[in-house]
Amino acid sequence: MRTAQFYLWMSYGVTALALVAELLALRWRRSRAMKRVEEERDLEAQD
Amino acid sequence: MTMNWFYFASPSTFYRLAGRMAPAFFALAAVLGIAGVYVGLVQAPTDAQQGEVYRIMFIHVPAAWMSMWIYFIMACYGGVSLVFNTRLAAMMARALAPTGAMFTFVALWTGSFWGRPTWGAYWVWDARLTSELVLLFLYFGFIALANAFEEPRRGDRAAALLALIGLVNLPIIYFSVKWWNTLHQGSSVSFKGTSMHVMMLASMLLMALSFWMYSIGASLVRVRSIIVERESRTHWVRGLAA
Repeated sequence: MRTAQFYLWMSYGVTALALVAELLALRWRRSRAMKRVEEERDLEAQD
Repeated sequence: MTMNWFYFASPSTFYRLAGRMAPAFFALAAVLGIAGVYVGLVQAPTDAQQGEVYRIMFIHVPAAWMSMWIYFIMACYGGVSLVFNTRLAAMMARALAPTGAMFTFVALWTGSFWGRPTWGAYWVWDARLTSELVLLFLYFGFIALANAFEEPRRGDRAAALLALIGLVNLPIIYFSVKWWNTLHQGSSVSFKGTSMHVMMLASMLLMALSFWMYSIGASLVRVRSIIVERESRTHWVRGLAA
């Protein structure tokens, strides 16, 4: 029999993890987008 | 004084506006979230029937509200992009979808961890649970369809159409506990009032506001990335990367 603390931790903990994962994904997407713009700009400058 | 809304519909203008607004929404979300967790876990009394496990409701209910609300706003943006052919509305719809999917997952996950000690099962094919699962699949379908085309505008239109069709699921989720004989309980909070303890209600509303502020902040940050991806060949975006 699991305790109430187990169910509370699994709920609050996983919610916190989901929020952190989304924030990290947002950061990663932003840096990827900016990197791509830089690469395209550098390629055009070489041409 | 009149405001020119078309000025803010320009991706370059909105990019800067979103960049200024997002930190304020995240700060508000953090303050409200900390207050909501404190009131929910420390101040709210123990439930006479469910004991401590009921405290899962303070994230489960706001997450479920947000999952439906975000879908509604996403479909509205999709509708605006279809009717007026506006780029920014389509980008906003795309920006909202992952956050909506995340809250739908949180609602389902926390619901199952409340259901196990309360009902004796993590999952039952109940009308409310099943229609919420359908909502998660609608979010996944929207994201997949939006990214399935090489031409982004075609993806925007296809995904917007799916979002509008999927709107029919929202009243099904909301009224499922009334239309069918379900295991899921009915609404504890409505415009007519509530039977909850004031501290329980306070925590639930604080968490709902926190999730709302977080959703706005996250979608503003995401739409900035989408704008950069879409407008990467413009001079002003090239200037940003300089």
